[in-house]
Amino acid sequence: MAYGLGLVKGLKYTFTRAMKTVAGDFKHLGRRYDETLLRERQSVRGTGIFTVQYPEEKPAIPENFRFVPFLVYEPKLDANGKPVIDAQTGKEAINLERCTACGICSKVCPPQCIWIVRATTPEGKPKPKPAEFYIDIDVCMNCGFCAEFCPFDAIKMDHDYELANYERHISHIFDLKTLMKPATYHARIHPLDFKREEDDRKAKEAAKAAKK
Amino acid sequence: MSEEKPQAQPVPVASSEEEWIDEQVRRTVLVTPMDRVVDLVDKIYNWGRRNSVWPMGFGLACCAIEMICTSASRFDISRFGMELFRASPRQADLMIVAGTVTKKMAPSIVRLYNQMAEPKYVLAMGACASAGGPFKEGYSVVSGVDKLIPVDVYVPGCPPTPSALLYGLMQLQKKIDGQTIRDVSWYRKGASEGIPEPVLGPDVFDPRRAEEITALAGDPGKLEARAINIKSKAESKAEKK
Repeated sequence: MAYGLGLVKGLKYTFTRAMKTVAGDFKHLGRRYDETLLRERQSVRGTGIFTVQYPEEKPAIPENFRFVPFLVYEPKLDANGKPVIDAQTGKEAINLERCTACGICSKVCPPQCIWIVRATTPEGKPKPKPAEFYIDIDVCMNCGFCAEFCPFDAIKMDHDYELANYERHISHIFDLKTLMKPATYHARIHPLDFKREEDDRKAKEAAKAAKK
Repeated sequence: MSEEKPQAQPVPVASSEEEWIDEQVRRTVLVTPMDRVVDLVDKIYNWGRRNSVWPMGFGLACCAIEMICTSASRFDISRFGMELFRASPRQADLMIVAGTVTKKMAPSIVRLYNQMAEPKYVLAMGACASAGGPFKEGYSVVSGVDKLIPVDVYVPGCPPTPSALLYGLMQLQKKIDGQTIRDVSWYRKGASEGIPEPVLGPDVFDPRRAEEITALAGDPGKLEARAINIKSKAESKAEKK
């Protein structure tokens, strides 16, 4: 009896969705790529277009999203507690590198994509600081073991996934300069993780002070 | 193995500074009416080509799942005119190498690449296709598809998110925009040569002989000569005993 009704139902759904998308375009004229709008569209309440219009709008990244790792450093602070911008690099000036070149990350790395060379003092003694640090991001499998195992919270997983390039042997071997990112950046992309770390550190310091 | 390599980025290096200046002079100062026509043709031609890059329906491993997600409604790849995943290499422009390239699959990949009509592009998606990833020292895996065929864009990630793949495709579009019909290989005289298919030898599972195999690949005559050589050596050994 009712042959083809399913087809009509499906087409009706597609058509209403398309019409709602057009209506939404007129309703939100001029602020099409608004972030709050995107969040609403992607939620259950969304009625119109479902697609993320990628280069213009980007899907929200959850805090625990993992892409290639980066190294955290403490930025230099001025009198007001604001980080000082280095005029030469345009980045925040380095006060203290968290990495001590212990090599745990390179040992636990399953695909073995991390190379570290420890720095030495002029007398030839090893210094707790990396002289060279390389990550082959084309081998990295984004597992996050390095961030998990680092005892100094020096290596963290980045959120930046726009790394495609035309060749891999120069631009895709990240060196110390590319990997170094300030702690303020880490706090921005991992707010909960950063807060937990800071609380842990403060608790440890308090326990140490109490012992004395 | 073929000598064809992915085109390097035009980086103004100090050693080739004079060449770079010559290139700039040729491009910007010495502009003839013919050049203007060619530039206009380039623009139209590249616009058409960059917005209709048809990929091949070709997935090797888990990265293919992300590729499928990219073509689905949330990250709609058809916004870039790339929604037509062709089942035949003859109709495809782009090969998205999505996944681990095993040695067993290597001859097929090269054959498919040879069968694609020019202009053709290759995008290495994910760690395995770019550099072997976690299997880079595995006995059965080719550490990077660029050992077999020229790669245009490398997309890191394990696997790359759909957005990362779309970014890689946008990089490819930028590369297409930079091409001119003066330089591209497929408008030169003579047929373009295919890449010789790697031959799986008897010792393909021995990674210490990788270089030897690479040298042998694509030349069955050499393989035969090698087999005869080994045989004669064994015979001479037996004689000595």
